[in-house]
Amino acid sequence: MAIEYGSAARSRMIGRTMIYSGLIGLAAFYLMPLWVMVVTSLKPLDEIYGGSFIGLPKVLTFEAWAKAWSQACIGTACTGLKPYFINSLMMVVPAVLLSTGIGALNGYVLTKWRFKGSNLIFGLLLFGCFLPFQAVILPMAQVLGRLGLSGTIPGLVLVHTVYGICFTTLFFRNYFVTIPDELTKAAQIDGAGFFRIFFSIMLPAALPIMVVSCIWQFTQIWNDFLFGVSFTAGESSPVTVALNNVVNVTMGRKQYNVDMAAAMIAALPTLFVYVVAGRYFVRGLTAGAVKG
Amino acid sequence: MRKLSSALIASTLALAAALPVHAETKIEVLHHWVSESEVAALNTIREALATKGYGWQDSAVGGMSGGNMQQALRSRLAAGNPPGAMQFIGWEGIDWSKEGVMRDLNDLDKANGWQATIAPQVLPFVKNGDDLIAVPINMHRQNWVWANKAAFDKAGIEQPKTWADLIADGDKLRAAGIIPLAIGDEPWQIQVVFDALVSDIGGPDFYRKALVDLDPEALNSDTMKQVFDTLRQVRGLVDDGFNGRDWAVATGMVIDGQAAMQVMGDWAKGEFLAKGLKPGSDFLCFATPSETPSFQFVIDSFGVFKVSDPEVSKAQVALAEVVMDPKVQHDFNLIKGSIPARTDLGVDDFDDCAKKGFEERATAIENNAMLGGATHGFAAQPQFSAVFSDVAAQFFVNEMSSEDAMQLLVDGIDNAR
Amino acid sequence: MARKKSIADRFADWLPRLVLAPSLLAVIVGVYLFIAWTGWISVSSSKMVPQYDFVGLEQYYRLWATPRWHTAVANLFIFSALFLAVTIAVGLIMAILLDQNIRAEGALRAVYLYPMALSFIVTGTAWKWILNPNLGIQKVVNGLGWESFVFNWITQPDFAIYTIVIAAVWQSSGFAMAIFLAGLRGIDNSVIKAAQIEGASLPRIYASIIVPMLRPAFLSVIVLLSYISIKNFDLVLAMTNGGPGSATEVPSTFMFSSVFRRNQMGVGAASAIMMLMTVAAIIIPYLYSELKEGRDGH
Repeated sequence: MAIEYGSAARSRMIGRTMIYSGLIGLAAFYLMPLWVMVVTSLKPLDEIYGGSFIGLPKVLTFEAWAKAWSQACIGTACTGLKPYFINSLMMVVPAVLLSTGIGALNGYVLTKWRFKGSNLIFGLLLFGCFLPFQAVILPMAQVLGRLGLSGTIPGLVLVHTVYGICFTTLFFRNYFVTIPDELTKAAQIDGAGFFRIFFSIMLPAALPIMVVSCIWQFTQIWNDFLFGVSFTAGESSPVTVALNNVVNVTMGRKQYNVDMAAAMIAALPTLFVYVVAGRYFVRGLTAGAVKG
Repeated sequence: MRKLSSALIASTLALAAALPVHAETKIEVLHHWVSESEVAALNTIREALATKGYGWQDSAVGGMSGGNMQQALRSRLAAGNPPGAMQFIGWEGIDWSKEGVMRDLNDLDKANGWQATIAPQVLPFVKNGDDLIAVPINMHRQNWVWANKAAFDKAGIEQPKTWADLIADGDKLRAAGIIPLAIGDEPWQIQVVFDALVSDIGGPDFYRKALVDLDPEALNSDTMKQVFDTLRQVRGLVDDGFNGRDWAVATGMVIDGQAAMQVMGDWAKGEFLAKGLKPGSDFLCFATPSETPSFQFVIDSFGVFKVSDPEVSKAQVALAEVVMDPKVQHDFNLIKGSIPARTDLGVDDFDDCAKKGFEERATAIENNAMLGGATHGFAAQPQFSAVFSDVAAQFFVNEMSSEDAMQLLVDGIDNAR
Repeated sequence: MARKKSIADRFADWLPRLVLAPSLLAVIVGVYLFIAWTGWISVSSSKMVPQYDFVGLEQYYRLWATPRWHTAVANLFIFSALFLAVTIAVGLIMAILLDQNIRAEGALRAVYLYPMALSFIVTGTAWKWILNPNLGIQKVVNGLGWESFVFNWITQPDFAIYTIVIAAVWQSSGFAMAIFLAGLRGIDNSVIKAAQIEGASLPRIYASIIVPMLRPAFLSVIVLLSYISIKNFDLVLAMTNGGPGSATEVPSTFMFSSVFRRNQMGVGAASAIMMLMTVAAIIIPYLYSELKEGRDGH
């Protein structure tokens, strides 16, 4: 018995070891590019051009970070990423809130207030998720021009909201399907109206999916380059466009350390969101998003 | 309190005086110069514009060899919101002018006699019919070889006189442990070599026939086969790690002696000079070797769009004047590594490579050997020149026969027509 | 009074539709009208700017006579198939491993998820270095003493697309993991307990009981990953810019360069319509089944 118990414990030990080494091995693979970016951003430029791309820096310097934040030149404007970072924040916050809010209302209507043709509308919305955006740039530019929003941050907010509601509607609709209809029916009998039910019953229950929707939208919009480069210019560009301008030097010496530092600065908000809200993300997915 | 506010007012005034830009009309300029030396050169224009009382509002979009900028411009025009001015390469300015969105600069031209100062081969890129629609600021030469002198000495070789020499030197360099040629796998870097080979092997007339007129016979000729055969041999001079290598990294390899040569435009020169290297003693610059030498030019020009705001319209005039100003052209090009677009300026205080380029340009103009650099859009229209870069790059990185490459060229050009 | 009330009632009846109306309008304009516009351009002679004439299917002929487009289409299928298969496999394995009462689960989860947060404009550069034989993995392994080790896919036209798959898997598998993990957490533990009591081994339980229960999670993952693989654009631009040669061209980069770099707007529009048709062929059956299921469940 004792021997058997010992071997069971040993096989359990081996199992645990394998699980942990698998997880840690994968983690190393995932961290590799981050490692390259971090060490590169901490090296002086000459060391990089000397052929050291992956190893530890011989000379440690934070100059590249300072330069990327407040001195790097984009065209003749040497302001670093700072102003563009603020542009992105001004764009991403309203766009995320609007698209999530509208998505929540849409999901609510599509599940609890169905009418003839509502499924078709959902289908039309969902197909929009898969639109290759390169195809809509020129007509969209014309529309923005007519609306007088060309080259502005509100224009970008509008674009991101329009294309964002496809996904947010999908999220909320799939989540609200799991909330029993009896709940809303009962509230209706009690005399609660359309918005009353939405705000006092649906929304409080929708917290997990709201987190998922916000994270998804935040990442998509913050990292968007295509719309940013098409619909804004110069001072109103979002940070990804500025980052591109720092990184994509056409004829000149690439400042790899500044590029990498700039990339990480541009990624800080999304990294922050993932690390802090990651737990809620999985919880939110658990709560319903995947029950399709 | 009053003291404080008056101090505030005084400092605000001082600030306003120091930054005249704030009070005046600004002209928005869309361009794709974002590297340090490019921006430093651009600042000479910006400062000259400021002395005329106009501000410069920067709209830089880098990347994709101007592709991102083209995208930004197209959506701006679609939205009816064009920038005040824009930097053009290749046929871009002419193409937009044909769409009727560009303002002509004829009055200024007449008043200042600009056309006489621009090389005749450049005029087709800044003139739509009789209208001058853009002003050139600089001229780069695309077909240079940059070489490390010490590497040449170590391998015991001299400046090659023909491509056959250059390729033969490859063996000696390899024997000395040096990579003969530094290059990246980006199609445009490969096309720079291809362009050079076309005129170096076939002569300037063949270049015009093949890359400008797109004559199917020229594309399918023995000369073209020879070009591809030579390009295949050039492939043998390159190391394995050439994927995703920026041209500046390749230049760095020549600078530190890891590689011996690079075929690249004269924007590469700044890299050598920045390291304090001297042309002639530390590094060599010479035209790609040929018995029929040519000068493959690349110019940057500024064009102005039709706008409704009369103030911006005045600023456009000022910008054009600044760009064609002899002193601005001189200062700009001293920093940018190119030579002035105006042919009537001296380059006495430029470096030796620039002087060499300046002389060879004069000879090339005489010999009718001034050619537009196809890689940068100064030969055929973009839908065609892209076919050349596609094919040259595919040929370079794949196992492909010269015949197949020529067939791809002919088919590709046909298809793009 | 009664009349008034009926107006209010009617308003209440129409309210859900009114709430949906702005979104519908936005999507009709922003998606369907623009698709129609693209369709029109694809049968016009448009080069640098839109022309509103009619040339029949000329641009489509031109498109299919372009070797680069064939490469792009082939790459889309290779990429999508591999990307979906590997990402799902890796994501599922990570989720199962993480579900074994792991210490530091939060930290590991963050490590797997963070690539999703980064834009490829620059992580592409990092990957480019890692995969470059003279700078990255090959050099490191050679330096460790294994001199003959070769990992130069990114320089090989026939293999470069696989390096794009590697980077794409790196970016998205954490996301797949999160969805699978969510699915696993949603499964009642008593199912596993019951199977264990009956003597089934853990791998068997996963293979035959748990994974089949993850069907909705699979569906969500497949939809999201298809979305990512069709939109795959930044990744290719940053890592290979379509090279070596045009070996890693994909439809979205093809479209972009046709319209914005080669003055072939008509060809670009035609390629966009081809992409949309492919998407429609995949998504419409999915939508149909999804919506039908919804009706059944009601």
